[in-house]
Formats: sequence, C-alpha cells, structure tokens
Amino acid sequence: MASATDNRYGQKESSDQNFDYMFKILIIGNSSVGKTSFLFRYADDSFTPAFVSTVGIDFKVKTIYRNDKRIKLQIWDTAGQERYRTITTAYYRGAMGFILMYDITNEESFAAVQDWSTQIKTYSWDNAQVLLVGNKCDMEDERVVASERGRQLSEHLGFEYFEASAKDNINVKQTFERLVDIICEKMSESLDAADPAVTGAKQGPQLTEQPAAPHQDCAC
Amino acid sequence: MKLEQKNWEDRKNDFCPLDLGLFQALERERVLEVLQRDKALRTIDADRVRRLRVELHGLCLQTSRIISRPFGQRSCARCQRVLGKFWDCGSVCCGCSHRICNRCQVVRSAHDWKCTVCHAYREFKIKSGEWFLEQQAKKFPSVKENSETTGDKMLQSYQRLSFIAVVPPTPPPFYNPPSFNRLEEHKKPFTKSMENLVASVSAHIKKLSKSQNDLSEVAGQLTVDHGHMMYSRRKSLSDGAINRALCKVPSLPILSTAQSTSTSTLCLTDDDVSSTSAYSDDQRDSNSSTGMDSVLFENTISVTGEIEVVLAYNNRTSCLEITIKACRNLMFRDTKKKCHPYVNVCLLPKKCHNFKMKTAVRKGKNPVYNETFTCVLSADLLSSAVLQLSVWHSRGLKRRLFLGETLIRLADMDLEDTDSQRSLCCKLNPKAPQLGGDAELQFTSVLLLIQAQFHTLPHNNTQTHGVLLGAPGQLTVLFTDVSKLLSVSKTAHFEGILCLPGHRELVRKTSALKKTDGSIRMSFSSLSQQELQQATLTLNLWEKNCLLTSARLHKESSWQHLQRMPGVWQEFNLQLQVVQT
Repeated sequence: MASATDNRYGQKESSDQNFDYMFKILIIGNSSVGKTSFLFRYADDSFTPAFVSTVGIDFKVKTIYRNDKRIKLQIWDTAGQERYRTITTAYYRGAMGFILMYDITNEESFAAVQDWSTQIKTYSWDNAQVLLVGNKCDMEDERVVASERGRQLSEHLGFEYFEASAKDNINVKQTFERLVDIICEKMSESLDAADPAVTGAKQGPQLTEQPAAPHQDCAC
Repeated sequence: MKLEQKNWEDRKNDFCPLDLGLFQALERERVLEVLQRDKALRTIDADRVRRLRVELHGLCLQTSRIISRPFGQRSCARCQRVLGKFWDCGSVCCGCSHRICNRCQVVRSAHDWKCTVCHAYREFKIKSGEWFLEQQAKKFPSVKENSETTGDKMLQSYQRLSFIAVVPPTPPPFYNPPSFNRLEEHKKPFTKSMENLVASVSAHIKKLSKSQNDLSEVAGQLTVDHGHMMYSRRKSLSDGAINRALCKVPSLPILSTAQSTSTSTLCLTDDDVSSTSAYSDDQRDSNSSTGMDSVLFENTISVTGEIEVVLAYNNRTSCLEITIKACRNLMFRDTKKKCHPYVNVCLLPKKCHNFKMKTAVRKGKNPVYNETFTCVLSADLLSSAVLQLSVWHSRGLKRRLFLGETLIRLADMDLEDTDSQRSLCCKLNPKAPQLGGDAELQFTSVLLLIQAQFHTLPHNNTQTHGVLLGAPGQLTVLFTDVSKLLSVSKTAHFEGILCLPGHRELVRKTSALKKTDGSIRMSFSSLSQQELQQATLTLNLWEKNCLLTSARLHKESSWQHLQRMPGVWQEFNLQLQVVQT
C-alpha cells in the first residue's frame, strides 16, 4: 500500500509541472501531538491509530486549486523529539508557512507552544505565516486545554487559531486552505511593496523623456 | 487515542541502549530517503522555473525592438503603433514609465494597471517563488548560497555514510570482527573443559583400577594374616593350625614376662611392616600403566622358595653377624628371561635401627651368595629386633620385581647366651600383611605398654614418718605410645591407684592425653620395698567422668623384677579390660 502510493506520487511528481505556485509548509510541535496523522489525513485521506515516531524529517506533496490557481504544496513533517532538532530547524528557512500543533489532551504540548513560536521567529523569515492548531478535538472527555485558552494564546502571538481532529477529519482541509490563503495575501503584499523600488530603478533612464512631455503641453 | 498512547508507552519500554547504533543507522536511512526525494522535487521545480524564465525573456525581446521614427511622432513602446496628438494618445506605465497604448495595458483596478511586460515579470516572480527569496534575503543575506549548500552538503555526506552502511548485507562490517572473536572465545573454554573432562575421566578410571588392586591386596593380606601370626618354618598352614591360633588368643594374659616381651615385639613388627607396605604402595602409586600391570602380576602370583641364612652374635663387640648363603626355588615365571635375584637385609623396627644392606645380583632361580653383613646391636635391643629379608628380581633400569620375603624375630634365636651360630632355612612369603585382621586389632587394642622403674631414695632423718619399714623408694610409671593406642578419645586421661598394705592408697592423675604427644609420666613416692611386694597398681582410663578401660599390675614376679634391678626401666604389657556398666 505504502509503496504503491509512493510510486503514484513519484510519477505525479515527475510529470506534473503544470502549476502556478509552489508553497512550502512546515508542521511543527511536540512529539505525539498528531503531526504525521494530520498530514496523512490531508494528503492521503487516511488515518492510522498506531503511533510511529517520525525519524528526522519527511514531506508529502499535494496540488490543490485555490482562487482559480493551481498551487502545489510541499508539506514537511518534522520529528518533535529534542534529538532531531538540528535537522528540523534547517528546514525552517525554506518554509513559507507553518502549522504549530499541540494536543488538547496534553497540557505539556500546549505549554511548549511559546518555545516553538520563538524558534519560528529565530530560524524563519520575518513575515512567516503561522496557524496554531489544537489537535485531537474529538477527545472531548479528556480535554485539558480549553478552546478559549488556545484562542487567547494565538491572538497574543499573532497567529490564526483552529481546533481540528486528524482522526475524525475535522478542520483538516480548512486549516491548510486558510494557510494557503494567508500565504497568497502575504505574497501579493510583498510584490506590491516591491513595486516602488522597481519604479525607482526604472525612473533613472526615463528622466530625459519627462521634459519632453511638458514641452508638448507648451505647444498645445 | 488511548491505544495510541499505549503504543507510545510500549515504544518507550522497547527502547534499549544496545540498539542505539543500529537505530541511528536506520535514522540516517530514513533521512537520506527524504533528502533524495526532496532533491528530485527541487530538480523538477528548477526545470519549470527555467522554462518560465525563457518565456519571460522572449517576451522582453519581442517588445524591446525600437523602430526609429521621425522626431516628434509618438508610438506605443510595446506594439510600436503610432499614437495620435489628441485621440488615442496612450498613457505612461507606472512600472516602466514607457508610453503604452490602450490595448497593451493590463488593468488590475481603476487606478492600478501595468504594461504587458511588467505584468509578466510580476507573474514570473509569483510562479517561481522569487518573491519569497527576496523576502528571505532581507533577513539572511546569503540565503541562496546557504539554502542550496545546506541540503546538498547533508545529502553528500550522508551518501558516503549510506554507501558504507548499505553495500554489505547485514550485519555491517563494523560488527563482524567482535562477533567472530566472541565465537572464538566461546570455543576455547569448551575445548579446555573437554580436555579437563577427559583427564578427570582418565583419572577416575585409574582410581577405579587402583581401588580394585587395593581390594586384591587386602584380600591377600587377610588370607596370610593368620599364617603370619603362627609364624613357622617349612610348615604349611592347615585349618586345624588356624583354629589353634584363634583359641590361643584369649590366653595371652597368662604369658610370662619373656613372652610378654615377645608379644610387644610382634606389635612393633606389625606396625613397621605396615609402614614398609605403605612405602611399597607409594612406589606403586608413582608407576606407569606398565607398573600397574606388574603390580597385578605380583598380586596374583603365589610366592614360593626358601632362603638360607646364618645368624651369630658377638658379645665382645656387640655385633650381629648375618650371612646370606643361598636361595632356592625362587618364583619367576618368565621362561624367556633369566632370573636376577638379590636380597635386601634390614632390621625392624626402623626407628631403632638404621641398618639396610643388599647382596650382589646373581643369576638363576637358585642363586648362591655367601655374603656376610655386620651391624652393631646392643644386647638389650637384641630381643626386640626383627630381621627382614626380602628377595627381588633386578631388571636393570626397569622396576624391580618382588619375589618373596621373610621376617626373623631375633628373640627366638637365643643368641645372647651362646656364641654359636644359628643356621636357618626360612620359607619365603608374600608381602607382610597390614593391620587388617580382626584378631590382630583385638590383640593390639587390649594391650597397654608401660615402663616402670623403682629406685630407693636417700634416708632422711627429718622425716616424721616413723611408720615406714625399710628404705623409702619411688615408683615411676611411664606410658609410651599413648597417642597411637588411644587415637579415638582425645579428652581421655589416666588415673593410677597404687594400693598398699594397711589400707593405704596413692592416687595420681595424668593430664588430658591430647595435650601430650610423647609419653605420660606418673610417680608414686613414700613407698618402701616391703610394701611394694604386696602392692597392686590399677590404671584406669577415663573420659568425661566415664570409665572406659582398666588395667592391673599385681604380680609378685613383676615387683621382684623391679626390685632386682633398681633404676632400670622394665617394660610391661598390661591387658586393658572394658568396664561393663
């Protein structure tokens, strides 16, 4: 099953160059909060209850249509354990957006959100877009982190907030679509902000042409 | 979710430090796989970006051709169409500041429009991700170099490790030598233990063989034991003779003093013969298997033959002269080879004498020696000495073979009285038996060896005792060889009671026998000669307030013997009787 899937994705990756954008997204958070299950639910629409700790780093590719554009997503899955930190932080630099995940049944994973946020600011670009996601919202009976607390923390950090469940496929697609949207907005903003620089660069050669225009007006 | 947490806990428990090396290797494999997939994806994307760049370049070239116009005429910078003075005069692009006609404008909003070239460039940035790299460069100036180099560096370094780890099949070569050494280490102790096992099995077999030999020897000794007690020359033992020997044993106490001395000699002789046999056994123990075969041969054969010897004692020089004349009918069954016999001559017990000689080696079963040996021997020791003559077959460097031996008690020869010679023809016997017979044990255990001495003391007028008749004296009793006789009881002690006429009793006690290894002394004083005539000496053996055995010395002849030779030690053999409760 896994090998067949890999072959299919391999062929798709090698032949598929017909896309408009390519975004790189990184999923980070404490170990065992459900990062890998979240990614598998979105990319393969599958869920495995058995826990297998991620070794180092992994990624999956998915192409979506958003706002009449074909966007190819390379979604990186990281290992939450401390001993893989040197490998995972190397990929913060290349990520355009982040999904910062915690487990609503695990107080420790929520307490670590602040530390993960500091890492994003340290290793990533200044306008990185981050979504705070509280996973395993289907386990309401074992909830230890209230939704209100998560929302307050996300506002404090400047992130958007979602509660999701990889197991029950709650808010998984919405999370990724929202992240793509805010990345597109940030892309347009950065391009528009760069236009005056381009204009400034272009104005040099055109200075000689501007005196000619008033001249024409004088003739009129 | 509970199942997931449970699996996580199981995972933690399963982790053990021994697998850390292998686990890290597996981790590297996983990371390398991901890096290679990422590299492939980046290659595809780079190809796409290159195509986008080519399209953009083509568009720029197409619109960059400048057609010269007469000065004063205006045209569109993109399509080169002539613009009018009042109508269709075009606008200036906000991006490139060129005048652009209406058809070449890309309108995004009422106040935002760009020319086709500027718009295409913007789209290129979006599609290629150039916008992100520009943003990244603000924070990380050398981001391009770092981004490419980091991934490629990791991939290259890990590829080298991967090559080392993957090429050989499991286990990797790094672990092969230790496992090989471990196997070798396992083999060596096994080999050594096997060798030890084989050696122990061989030793066990030897022990079994030896124990069987010992049983044979003991049986032989038991058979000859009675014969030895009834020592006689040129006389074969019969059942009647053996029965007579057994009947005579209880009547030993009634023997005279001289016969008691003879009995003492018998005991000593048995002890020394036992030590001699032990010595021979020691020699046998150190022999090889050939020697063991010889021992078997020796035990199973019957000894025949005689030895002729002449004994004489010279009172003037206190020398004993032993002449070995000849041997006859020696036992030697190897018909292929000749017999080379010689005779060993020694006096027993060896503690008193250090005399040991041997004759020359002769040939044949009837050798003639005519050799005389002389040894210094005082008349006192003559009665307690035993002459041992043993015949051996000499085989050069090989071990000698035993052919027979004989023991001659010199007390029976009456050598002190006369100067004449005693010519004997003794039968050769097998090895002397050890203390194995029951009669022997009883005979030995019921005798107590003591030495007694009586001497008079100088007359002292200051003594208040006027009752004593005659000269006062002192009786001293010496217990000899106590440890050998009473080895079973270490806390035993002797009590001596000397009963004198007139209801007088002198009581003495000795210390525990274990404390004294040699002899124990007991003295009785304030004693007169006349009282000694009617005295009775009782010796009791006690152990923890329990009387074991008792012995009495009450014969007039014994006391007379002591009085006749004052100051001289006299030996007595007292019979120890078990006290019945």
